[in-house]
Amino acid sequence: MTRPSALDVKNISKHYQDGSRQIDVIRDLSFSVAAGESLSVTGPSGSGKSTLLNLLAGLLELDGGDMTLALKDKTFSYRTADERSRTALRRQHIGYVYQFFNLVPTLTVLENVRLPARLNQQRELERHAATLLGEFGLSDRLHDFPETLSGGEQQRVAVARALLLKPPLLLADEPTGNLDAENSNHVADLLFSSCREQNISLVLATHSTEVAGMADTRLHLDTQLPLDTRSQDRQSP
Amino acid sequence: MIALALLRFLARTPWSTAMALIGMALGVTSIVSVHLVSASISSRLDGLVPGALSEYSHYLHRDKLDTADYLALRKQWRAGALPAITQLSPLVDETTTLEGQSVRVLGADLLARPPSAGAKAIAEQFSWNGAWVDQSLKDQLSIPINGIIEAPKGTLLADIATAHDLLGWRPNQLSYVGLVLSDAFAGSIETAEKLLPGFGAGFPSAKPSLDLAPGWQLVSTAEQYPAREFGKSILFNISALGMLALLVAWLLIYQVAVSWLRRLWPVFDRLHVLGVEWQQLRAYFLFSIGLIATLAAALGLVTGWWLASWLLGMAVPGQEINLNLDSWVIFKAVGSAVAVCLLGGAWAFHRSQQEVSHSSLPAILTLLLLIAATWCVFQPQTGLAGGFFAIAVLSLAASQTIAPLLTRLKRWASMIRGSYLLRVGVREALWHPAELSVALAGLSLAIATAIGVALMVDSFRVDFSQMLDHRLKYDLIAQGDKTALKTFANINKTATLADRIQVYRNTDIRVNGLSMELDISRMDAFESSRYGYSRSLASNGILLSEQAARSLQLSVGDALTVAGEKMTISGMFSAFGDLKPKLIVNDRSPLADALAAQLQVDSVAFKSDRPEILVAALRKQFPALELRLQSDIRRVALKTFDQTFAITTVLITIALLVAAISVYIAVTTMRLNRQTGRQLLNTLGVNRTEQLMMNIALGTGLGLVAIIIALPLGVMFGWILCNVINPRAFGWTIELQLSAEALLRSCTWGMLAAIAAGILQGGDHEEGAFGGR
Ligand SMILES: Nc1ncnc2c1ncn2[C@@H]1O[C@H](COP(=O)(O)OP(=O)(O)OP(=O)(O)O)[C@@H](O)[C@H]1O
Ligand SMILES: [Mg+2]
Repeated sequence: MTRPSALDVKNISKHYQDGSRQIDVIRDLSFSVAAGESLSVTGPSGSGKSTLLNLLAGLLELDGGDMTLALKDKTFSYRTADERSRTALRRQHIGYVYQFFNLVPTLTVLENVRLPARLNQQRELERHAATLLGEFGLSDRLHDFPETLSGGEQQRVAVARALLLKPPLLLADEPTGNLDAENSNHVADLLFSSCREQNISLVLATHSTEVAGMADTRLHLDTQLPLDTRSQDRQSP
Repeated sequence: MIALALLRFLARTPWSTAMALIGMALGVTSIVSVHLVSASISSRLDGLVPGALSEYSHYLHRDKLDTADYLALRKQWRAGALPAITQLSPLVDETTTLEGQSVRVLGADLLARPPSAGAKAIAEQFSWNGAWVDQSLKDQLSIPINGIIEAPKGTLLADIATAHDLLGWRPNQLSYVGLVLSDAFAGSIETAEKLLPGFGAGFPSAKPSLDLAPGWQLVSTAEQYPAREFGKSILFNISALGMLALLVAWLLIYQVAVSWLRRLWPVFDRLHVLGVEWQQLRAYFLFSIGLIATLAAALGLVTGWWLASWLLGMAVPGQEINLNLDSWVIFKAVGSAVAVCLLGGAWAFHRSQQEVSHSSLPAILTLLLLIAATWCVFQPQTGLAGGFFAIAVLSLAASQTIAPLLTRLKRWASMIRGSYLLRVGVREALWHPAELSVALAGLSLAIATAIGVALMVDSFRVDFSQMLDHRLKYDLIAQGDKTALKTFANINKTATLADRIQVYRNTDIRVNGLSMELDISRMDAFESSRYGYSRSLASNGILLSEQAARSLQLSVGDALTVAGEKMTISGMFSAFGDLKPKLIVNDRSPLADALAAQLQVDSVAFKSDRPEILVAALRKQFPALELRLQSDIRRVALKTFDQTFAITTVLITIALLVAAISVYIAVTTMRLNRQTGRQLLNTLGVNRTEQLMMNIALGTGLGLVAIIIALPLGVMFGWILCNVINPRAFGWTIELQLSAEALLRSCTWGMLAAIAAGILQGGDHEEGAFGGR
């Protein structure tokens, strides 16, 4: 079954400037993801997984190439978009799950999940938040603050929030990196099955081969610079 | 290596580094400027007492004092009956006219002690018949001048015998006896005065009970020179406010030290993992913060000096200002900055390494202090210092309630409704007591002071303008030219011009040894009503100003003997701004006859429908008269009133500014230290306008917490200022008015300061993103 691609990435590149030195993190990368399909991104530490996800979220600017995301009524092109429209894209059309610190500490669990609906003035989705949390087994924690939740529970809340708007694209950067095997499986299951059911494209960066194996497609990034110039950044076990 | 790592780190975060420097320098600026302003006023006040008399702490007065009285006293002293006295000497002090000049002649026993204090010899040959004079009399007199002394304008100092000659007195006549009484605290108060100018005025002058023969009156320097004392009291108020500014500045400096540490902590943590000793790291930390403190102190000294000259120029325009950065103020500035930094920094370092257990000791201590403070409020003999001690203790207690208050508010935080982003902002303000409570304490102290002073000033203004309404019943006041004024004393009415003419005569007298002003006029019902007394004043009736009643400890109905005449106190009136206690009697009273020779016409008041025409006519007839219209007097009086409080306003503004910077630094530290979810919100697509809104909400939250504490505290401050400080400092009471406008104004400024601290997040980008990689 071939579906039209929702996310199209063509020959993109990204480099960082460190003083006078230029670090090419991503060079000439192309791939595409269809709606409802999942892509796992693997590679050694410093290979640019997070950088790629941040580009997709519009948090970083492209240096070369272009990416497009199919929305309901139009196609969003990253190259021509300014910061404002990229912020708006993130707000309305992208869900994001980090490895940790996914929740605003000063909002309750329910408020955290409802937040995207509030930000987009989609009040009708607010009721959905409690249902979603119920499905994820968190119905008795709705009014607690995140600091009282376990790591696995926090990640489930983060997934619920990323799913609330049923965005065309969900990005997850090592969402299970912090969890034990059991919780890790639970969260990964939730992510993959929900995305598939709701026709959401999922791009997931991970160090775990097990989690990577659950995706429809795999993308492996290689280190393109000698390792000693890379920063050791939050290595997962 | 370590130093290099630190330097590189600091260079990479220039904004935060500059903020620390600026914050600390502002703290020092406020310390320095307040000190300089106070010191300048203080030296001007000291000039009111001639240097030759400055060593005496008390004076003994007696009716028709002569040398026999003095020698009897001396005999008693030599016999050891007056152990409290360490020195005593006879003095002559009388104002007379010499060669057309009004001169205050001081006569002292120069055989026993030559005039040393600040005296500059100018004559080739010293002459016992000569005198020492202040600069203004240098070339005005024909008698030989031995030297120049530091003294108020028109002062002459001579040997007691020469003084007798100049005054034409009997050789055994004396004015009073100067005393030095031993005081155990004098030394320490003098040192404290150097560090906090005006401090000494806070303590009631000790009046030891001397076993004296009947007829002697013991008077302290403060009572002898009420004008100086009045000034010193104002000075003490400024100095106490300055102490508050100092406290807020210290809190800021401490805050800077803590946030400095928090910034460096990740670097230290890593270095420690690499095997660097904590001790060495602490030394590096203390060195770096000490360096910043020294730089800030130097910067603050310069800006403080500049601010002080500007302040004084504004408060006392047209007067020569010379401020000197003496070693005391440098010591105070550098000492404050470096000591608070190092001690606070070392403490913070210690706390970062290990949790400190909580004890209930501070709470118990505060409770004891509160009890002591309450006692001070109700015991007038504790003086101004007692009143300000109460304010200090209240501040301490209030700042201790911040952390528990935040903890409680955090528990209720989930009940905050409204926009989610606003919820985030406001809750953030409540979420981190450890980081924010010090800065919030500073802010609420500053707001409370603003409230207290605003309430006092507004209440005072109401009372003051009420007094003006009563007093200003005439349309025109004439002063100056005494001969012209005297002509009015003999006419009752210039029918064509004025409906009423009122002549005022006055003189300085001593009542129970205290120097007072006696005013004599036709006290009919109209005139009496100006002093809040509704009938015409009886011939044996007397009206007392609040200051006079307080210093004589008398009230309405009591009897009072003035210059040998027995009078009855008929009423009391408020006389804000009067330096001397004032007495008023009717011109039909026997006192008026008894004192006729020394009474001088001081002023004449006119009531008229057309004051402008009257002014023109009087100008023509008596060109030397000073004429002032009622409306002008009112305007000038209120302007002077507002000018008096200009320094107060500036001091409070400085405190608020310093507090706002302190809050800003605390918020930055909190962001550095805690996951506040700001980066996350950015990922969720929260835009800049919304982030600004959240920062405003955060600032509002901080402001609200500060105001919750500051409101009751400020009202208490206001009450103490009106009912404790003012009576003790100036002898008058003010009725506290809880003016909503004053409360609102101060809270608004406090709120704006907090919001500014919330918005000012230029350093955000330096804090390093998390989770984004
Ligand atoms: N803001 C930045 N400035 C300079 N270099 C950066 C920046 N962010 C990332 N890098 C560099 O880009 C490279 C890729 O980083 P990235 O975080 O994308 O790696 P990653 O694959 O996510 O690694 P990990 O598995 O450890 O999370 C690294 O060498 C990193 O040092
Ligand atoms: Mg990564």
